[in-house]
Amino acid sequence: MEMLRHDFMQYAFQASILIAVIAPILGLFLVLRRQSLMADTLSHVSLVGVALGFLINVNPTIMTLVVVVIAALIIEYMRSLYSTYSEVSIAILMSAGLSLALILMSLKPGGMGQNVQQYLFGSIVTITAGQVRVLFALFLVVLLLFTFFRRPMYVVTFDEDTAHTAGLPVKLISLAFNVITGVTIAVIMPIAGALLVSAIMVLPAAISMRLSKSFSLVMVIGVIIGLIGMLGGLTVSYEWGTPPGATITMVFVVFFVVSGAVLAIGKKIAKARKAV
Amino acid sequence: MQYIEVNNLTFEYEGETVLDNISFTVAPGEFVMLTGENGAAKTTLLRNVLGLLKPLKGSATISKKNVAGEKLSIGYIPQQIASFNAGFPSTVLELVRSGRFQCGKWFKRLDAADHEHVERALKSVGMWEMRHKKIGELSGGQKQRVCIARVFATDPDLLVLDEPTTGMDFKSRNDFYSLLKHNSQVHGKGILMVTHDHEDIKNYADRHIQLVRKEDSPWRCFAMTSCNMPSKPQS
Repeated sequence: MEMLRHDFMQYAFQASILIAVIAPILGLFLVLRRQSLMADTLSHVSLVGVALGFLINVNPTIMTLVVVVIAALIIEYMRSLYSTYSEVSIAILMSAGLSLALILMSLKPGGMGQNVQQYLFGSIVTITAGQVRVLFALFLVVLLLFTFFRRPMYVVTFDEDTAHTAGLPVKLISLAFNVITGVTIAVIMPIAGALLVSAIMVLPAAISMRLSKSFSLVMVIGVIIGLIGMLGGLTVSYEWGTPPGATITMVFVVFFVVSGAVLAIGKKIAKARKAV
Repeated sequence: MQYIEVNNLTFEYEGETVLDNISFTVAPGEFVMLTGENGAAKTTLLRNVLGLLKPLKGSATISKKNVAGEKLSIGYIPQQIASFNAGFPSTVLELVRSGRFQCGKWFKRLDAADHEHVERALKSVGMWEMRHKKIGELSGGQKQRVCIARVFATDPDLLVLDEPTTGMDFKSRNDFYSLLKHNSQVHGKGILMVTHDHEDIKNYADRHIQLVRKEDSPWRCFAMTSCNMPSKPQS
């Protein structure tokens, strides 16, 4: 493994493993809560934090965290207004976030194109040891919360009214989930890039949902697919010299297409056997 | 003691009164059916009872304790729950097991007694053989039976059911009503059930509450009538 001789590749692999575990866990709940585009939205909204950070000379990562948490609260409030069409709140916030980010960027004399580009297309191979440590702390928090709250989350995700009558604080759980997801996106974004965060969160979950009947297995398979996609994509990107974020996403897309084709063929074969 | 107590409840939707001065109770061991034409705000009334909506006037309260003085547990089947989340990636067994979580098992392992409850609940609706199936692979009626099994698995003191027999055939419906009757009479469960099936269910329910359109009010406003059902043979 010649590539692992480089420090930057070691950090990239460590970060990939951490992201591959937490992203599909959060992603599965996002998909089931009909919030698949939330990762996309929050990554766009977080550009407001980046732009604001550069504009007022505050660390963009801190500003991004603040903005994303506020956005997560707004999304939760708007979900209650459009309970049947929860994607409406996400769509509105996506447009609002991007517009505000563009306006803020235009206010900086001399522009901030290069700096913002770094956030939009952030590269996992430029990750620092400090970022890996932050990611590891987030990994522990998400894993701990998932271990304790997976049962309440399962019921809240299945049906919020049922969860309410079971005595669960549905709004609080929902809000906490949105905030954790927001913080995760804000941390992953400078690493994977805003444009690719959504794919990394949603695709492993979407693929695993088609591969298993059981909720627990869907979660485990999602993490395995996440690991294969992240580590495989990173290796391919190193060997071929392609952008890591885009390569990882394409590996997930190929996985999605191939698994879909295999499933379809499998079903046809089973049908043919039954007919015989 | 009453499990449900609704006093002079009035509910407005977008400035229009839809429920006017509704009062009723559901006691432990009582099986109450709630009927009314389409749009009669039956689900709205249930949601007020459960605290999912707030009444404009009056009150709807659920007892905090059961007859044994323990925390009252509620089993709720919302309308069309089975079709609402049919694509949920879960097996029948996982979903029904989740009913046990609210019995103090949110953060604890399920034990042998929990698994026994789950098995009994699935067998009572004839879905034990289908326990390893994915929910999405089931028919509408089967999904509904799984949701019912989930509620039975919680072993609740009070059952609040919103058209739970949608999609079920005649025999399954009557078996279900018979099971409810058994639960109210033998195990003292309080039951409030919305249904359109009042001809079949009148053989089982103790009381019939009907939401009726108010003649002197706008077309959407409903009040109620209530009557006890004549004594029926036990199930």
